[in-house]
Amino acid sequence: MNQTIEELHELLKEKKITSQELVQESLKKSHEVQEKYNAFVTILDEAKATEITDNPLSGIPFGIKDNYSTKDILSTGSSNTLKDYIPIFTATAVEKLLNAGAIPVNKTVLDEFGMGGTGTSGHTGIVLNPWDPTRMCAGSSAGSACAVASGVYPYALGSDTGDSIRKPAAYCGIVGYKPTYGMISRYGVFPFASSLDHCGVLTRSVADAAIVVDNMKGIDPQDMTSWDSKDLHLYEHVKDDVKGLHCCYIKELCNIESYPNPTEELKSHLENFKNKLELCKELGIEIEEVSVDSALLEALPSVYVAISCAEATSNMSNLTGLIFGPRGEGNNVFEMMMNHRTHGFSPLIKRRFVIGSYILQKENQERYFKNAQRVRRLLVDTWKKLFETYDAVILPVGTGPAKHLDGDKDILSHDTEVLEEHLQIGNFGGFPSITLPDGFINNLPVALNITGNCYNDETVLKIAYALESKMNYKNQIAKEGK
Amino acid sequence: MKFTSELVDDLAAKLLIGLSKEENQMVLDEFNIIDENLSKVENIENIKNVTPMTHCLDDFTFTLRGDETTESITVEDALRNCKKTEGREVEVPKVVGGDN
Amino acid sequence: MGKYKAVIGLEMHCELKSNSKVFSSARNSYNEVPNDNITYLDLALPGTLPVVNKKCVHDALMMSMALNCTQPEYMYFDRKNYYYPDLPKGYQITQMDAPVGINGFVEIECKGEKKKIYIHDIHLEEDAASLDHFYDTTNIDYNRGGVPLLELVTEPCINSPEEAVAFLETMRSIYKYCDVSEADTKKGQIRCDVNVSIMDNDATELGTKVEMKNINSFSNVYDAICYEIKRQSELKEQGRYDEVEQETRRFDEETGTTIRMRSKADALDYKYFVDPNLPKFKIDPEWLEEIRNEIPLLANQRKEKYIKEQGLSDYDAGVIVKEREYAEYFENCIALGIETKTAANWLTTQILGFINKEEISLKDFYLTPTLLKQIIDEIDKGTLSTKLAKEVFYKALEEKKEPKNFISQENAQISDKNELETLINQILEENTHQVEEYKKGKTNLFDFFVGQVMKNTRGKANPVLTKEILKEKLEK
Repeated sequence: MNQTIEELHELLKEKKITSQELVQESLKKSHEVQEKYNAFVTILDEAKATEITDNPLSGIPFGIKDNYSTKDILSTGSSNTLKDYIPIFTATAVEKLLNAGAIPVNKTVLDEFGMGGTGTSGHTGIVLNPWDPTRMCAGSSAGSACAVASGVYPYALGSDTGDSIRKPAAYCGIVGYKPTYGMISRYGVFPFASSLDHCGVLTRSVADAAIVVDNMKGIDPQDMTSWDSKDLHLYEHVKDDVKGLHCCYIKELCNIESYPNPTEELKSHLENFKNKLELCKELGIEIEEVSVDSALLEALPSVYVAISCAEATSNMSNLTGLIFGPRGEGNNVFEMMMNHRTHGFSPLIKRRFVIGSYILQKENQERYFKNAQRVRRLLVDTWKKLFETYDAVILPVGTGPAKHLDGDKDILSHDTEVLEEHLQIGNFGGFPSITLPDGFINNLPVALNITGNCYNDETVLKIAYALESKMNYKNQIAKEGK
Repeated sequence: MKFTSELVDDLAAKLLIGLSKEENQMVLDEFNIIDENLSKVENIENIKNVTPMTHCLDDFTFTLRGDETTESITVEDALRNCKKTEGREVEVPKVVGGDN
Repeated sequence: MGKYKAVIGLEMHCELKSNSKVFSSARNSYNEVPNDNITYLDLALPGTLPVVNKKCVHDALMMSMALNCTQPEYMYFDRKNYYYPDLPKGYQITQMDAPVGINGFVEIECKGEKKKIYIHDIHLEEDAASLDHFYDTTNIDYNRGGVPLLELVTEPCINSPEEAVAFLETMRSIYKYCDVSEADTKKGQIRCDVNVSIMDNDATELGTKVEMKNINSFSNVYDAICYEIKRQSELKEQGRYDEVEQETRRFDEETGTTIRMRSKADALDYKYFVDPNLPKFKIDPEWLEEIRNEIPLLANQRKEKYIKEQGLSDYDAGVIVKEREYAEYFENCIALGIETKTAANWLTTQILGFINKEEISLKDFYLTPTLLKQIIDEIDKGTLSTKLAKEVFYKALEEKKEPKNFISQENAQISDKNELETLINQILEENTHQVEEYKKGKTNLFDFFVGQVMKNTRGKANPVLTKEILKEKLEK
């Protein structure tokens, strides 16, 4: 299970291993990882082997984030409000993978409904980082990142509203890719903020990410925001030449001078990033430094909070315990709904709902919600402008490696650094965006991110692939205290 | 300060959510940060002339759904996750009071 | 209303006709069996998404144009957020920002006067589920949830309960003519919210507005308005106008009164915002033109045409345009060459009489204009008397056979003078006593002789000819 999809498919084809063996190994590892890091809500011990076909995913196990609806399989969104919910339909993206012969072996823990970036707010408890269990995996796709990094299987599904695939991938030393908005149907994925929610995948190699998304994507009549991508062939073009491409990085985010009191970690992280830009140049990619209006950048975290909380409070109004989920106690139906919600939601998301509700109040909409949506457009337009000149924007992910679990980044604080949050721009604009490991600091992985213009997924992936090939982090498996 | 704990509790109650004292205080703290950040936004030049971005992509074409039907899901499926049913329906304590 | 003027605004919700619901593919049809027309979205199962039904958009645009509204460049939807057990998503998908139509008008006729009623907006939305209340429980049936609704909001420009009802009748007619709704209040397909305020006749400032929710028949709308005007007027009269509160009331059918539900201060903030799951849809001007061309001539337009071009009376024209099927039947008759007046008479008396009695639709009426023409042609030829024609009419309906089968030699009208004379002579001979009485001056016996002739011929004698001969013989 420590191999990539490409390698496993070869072995299966040549009958050097069987699908059954892979399933057994994957299940065994699932239990180990569950024991050590608490990555799963459900382990599907009954998982069965499938026939090996020409589809590279056939016969290979994978994990599903627990906010994907899976028929007859508990799907909780890591929330007590759905702790006993057994869906009667399967999300389109999962259905497509099942049709490809892929084998789900577990449902992974997330921050409750994806509303968190720590992997600590799921109803089944905290997910620990497999490189160092005193640290977080980040979130919200914490379980998926932990499992893929631990070698449970070559890939797991994630969802990404702010950076929920790409941040945990970074903290766990693996690849996290969210394609252009609407390339993968959202039908059957529990919503957080519909205008920002993306489906995607966590893998240990760029090529694998391309293979999986090739199999998940496609227009879906059940999702009006999905579009026809049949002319995009991600895997087919992943190894294409990158010579002559143009990329940029943003001065305000990447230069150490932008930070008044930088930590040693941040210094190493940015230095490491700059070194990787040199690798890009060796590949024939031209790299330029660009500058972006810092007022817009500084507004970013609040804009994200405003939009995501507002949409979330509405999206999760269906969670009342009347039709599904545990019934609350109470003398009348409103008390029952209130009881269900008060006890079902974690404190973090209750707070977000209240903020979202305030922002949507008639008298506040203009100042908060509409202004946030306006800044969103300005930021997206800024990036689109960059994409007129550059094929992609390359930036470091976060301020360094995985954070310790005793700090909590989910409470917005005055010193929130834009560097921690900039991946959200990929969600604002629906841009294809991929994170890949680019080094180690204190024996913990760090990462960089490549983001391109909408529909240019092939370009983003081939840059990532070329860069990955120049480094030694492809298909790395987490080892405690490396 | 325009944010008060009463306001927070009232907002929460309208969402059918109860908050503990600590949760209430955390919302207040966060409110102040968001408010401060978004006040800066108001100073961005011509901000009022920008069309709010309501959807992630607004540059692609799509078709509306044809008026075709699918079979109803079965009542067993429909009520599978419901904790209190009566016959073919979801049952709740008697709903009284004005509707919307 | 005396010294006060009433100012009334209406919100009319009408269910649209379609195969599937507006955002889900479940059937849109009335179903007695609870939860038998539902799909995942109708239960708001996590991860489900709305998908817009093209027909509903089409029909909404058609109504928008029929009501002379302005259509938006882009079509999109908003969420209206509130918690209620009949609303599983916790929000209703509706249109706030860019409704399918704004700033329109419709012309109504009330007590012989024409008046324009201005439309603030018309928007497409989804219906809520239905709640069945029992002694101490409520059951939820999601069949109705997601059924397409058009909500129309008038400006407060209606001034009497009669105008309000005339407006609603006109609207119902337009919905039915455009074939976008059955618009049947008995099936709960139309529901109204009414707001009423009163003001001094010479005042310019509006009074306090009271809203009444969810009134389900036009007569209840009438009664509710009457009651509110009376209640508010009395309070004003007594100097207690400050007791009229900006509030929501409901109409109680049994007592004919309105009862307070909640004050404006308790009004919910629905936190409307654009639904990100439904992309903005550019309304193609060509499509709009196509839809515009599909709008049929409406009742008032046809009525005017029938009076002007066909010379019908206001009354007849009014009856014929009442339903689109009537008007179309009438027009088909004219197209077949049936004389206007004759067609109107047959339609408004015999035909409507029959279908009302049988409680069938004109669509299911056996005698199509072509078949009706078989009868009318024979009357024109003089073969059938009006009385016999009616017999043939009913016989044909009864046996569902073409009228020509019943217009035979046997039952044809006797218009042969010799034949009738022989018969009449015979009758006069058999009734010598009555002949004498007649000649003495008892002229009202004339009808007796006509009756005898008819009896003998089983009504087939040509009445005009019969009377002619009788007169001739008796006056001799």
